[in-house]
Amino acid sequence: MDIVFIANLVVAGIVEGSLIALAALAMTLVFGVARFPNAATGDFMAFGAYAALMAYATAGLPIWLAAAIAIAATALLALVSYRFVFSKLLNRSPVANLLASIGVALIIRSALSWYFGSAQRTFSFPLVRSMNLGGIRIHPTDLAVVGVALAAMLVVFTLLYVTPLGRRMRAVADNPLLARASGIRSAYVMVALWLIAGGVSALAGVLLGVKAIVTPEMGFDVLLHIFTATVLGGIGNPLGAVVGGLVIGIAQELASPIVGASYKLAVGFVVLVALLLVRPQGLFGGAEVTR
Amino acid sequence: MDAYLIALASFGLIYLLLVVGLNLQYGFAGLTNFGVVGFYALGAYTSAILATRGVPVPLALAGAMLVAMVPAFLLGLLSLRLRDDYLAVVTLGFAELVKLVVTNEAWLTRGPHGIPDIPPLVDAALSPDLRPAVELGVLLLVNAVALYAIWRIVRSPFGRAIFAIREDETAVTALGKDPLGFKIKAFMIGAALAGLAGGLQAHHLSYISPEQFLPILTFYVWIAVLIGGVGTLSGTVVGTAILILLLEGSRFLRDLIPGVSETDLASARLMIVGLAIVVVTIHRPEGIMGRTAK
Repeated sequence: MDIVFIANLVVAGIVEGSLIALAALAMTLVFGVARFPNAATGDFMAFGAYAALMAYATAGLPIWLAAAIAIAATALLALVSYRFVFSKLLNRSPVANLLASIGVALIIRSALSWYFGSAQRTFSFPLVRSMNLGGIRIHPTDLAVVGVALAAMLVVFTLLYVTPLGRRMRAVADNPLLARASGIRSAYVMVALWLIAGGVSALAGVLLGVKAIVTPEMGFDVLLHIFTATVLGGIGNPLGAVVGGLVIGIAQELASPIVGASYKLAVGFVVLVALLLVRPQGLFGGAEVTR
Repeated sequence: MDAYLIALASFGLIYLLLVVGLNLQYGFAGLTNFGVVGFYALGAYTSAILATRGVPVPLALAGAMLVAMVPAFLLGLLSLRLRDDYLAVVTLGFAELVKLVVTNEAWLTRGPHGIPDIPPLVDAALSPDLRPAVELGVLLLVNAVALYAIWRIVRSPFGRAIFAIREDETAVTALGKDPLGFKIKAFMIGAALAGLAGGLQAHHLSYISPEQFLPILTFYVWIAVLIGGVGTLSGTVVGTAILILLLEGSRFLRDLIPGVSETDLASARLMIVGLAIVVVTIHRPEGIMGRTAK
């Protein structure tokens, strides 16, 4: 393996990883505040991708406007799922919430496959030639995907660490009882949380759809990676989730010449099991007691 | 119509084994196994591979149970260190891993082509008219034995111990019992049942391929456990019956509404299962036959 070959793998890993990172950001926010792994994250992504596809391909809107519509629509969908499902399970176990999120995931997926069918769809962009930097090929679409993902992360981090809303969210994630005692209205925080989670998932879905293909299962297929990135970064740790996503993406690409392309997906699973055994609190987590 | 009812009952009985297995794991021992389909596929492929190479069907089925127990042992070891929701995701990943192996190791599993000509459950010399009924009898017998065995297990000191672990693990540890040992055993017995169900399915259909083992199957089994009642055996039977009704009932949609395609049906089934999970989790977490919540 020469250095250019490895560099190409790393580039591919960063592109894939930034998408996982964005989705993991959505998952870790919900995990940190609502305290369960939201299995519907992947299906929010698929919903967003289809919404954008409708606006872009059917209505003929520009891609940025289509993405904005998808973000708004999915944020609303996430809020609806909170209002009708998760708000009724606030005091129940993580497993009950996880099960309900699988139910929500199946409902969304069935609606998508009912309406759009299970055939693969694509955002048909005009073909562009890759840039070649001394053997390292970089595709302009990939560059745009990574750029948008990073920009979105920046927006979320600003929201979390600069605004009063973000401070409240982090307070609830840190200690819900103390947050309530300090006069933070958790209902308000929850609404904001689900809007953000839905919007961020949608953008991750749109970018994944732009990079690859759109199917009803596209989100479910990456769910394990998203979860692994979330655990890798430490539950409820937004920066950790982003780093975790990049690590998974790069590890998967680097491993593929060794284990074969068909077992690429298994890399995430192996990382997850090893991680849970050795460092369940994540790479950056403190000594959180998990049990 | 008789043939249809026999096919339906056979289908239901194979599911019943999966539901009993998961109910032992989740209902009694509190193990969140989201990888049911993985154990099921492992059993199906083991039994099919053995039987097509000349191993007698009963032995092949025993092999299926044994092979399914191996990952259950490892995952059971892991479960000590994992929260319930983490175990759920890890087992989900395990099932995906099984699917990858089954799809890619074509030298063993014939990959996407699937394995044809799997020897039937009953003597192939039997007349084709009689065979489904005899197979149904075999499935009934296997289920009766399995249910009786689980009933005995649940009422034994072992069963009381795993039930106590679910209720309060710390208290059980304080009494000097080892929760991990019990949990691993419960996990392995449940996995063996899933493996057996897979093996039976393989011989029943005589053909298996990777797309018969979709992740959604796991949640079919879950919904049966949740509807019937977590931790009750009568609930297992009721839950399975309702599940079959939900799955097969969607088939009749086609008679009611014209122009419904096979994909539409699959979507409808997915929708029904999704709604059922949400409604049961919110409104009746203890299930139909379950004890009322404490």
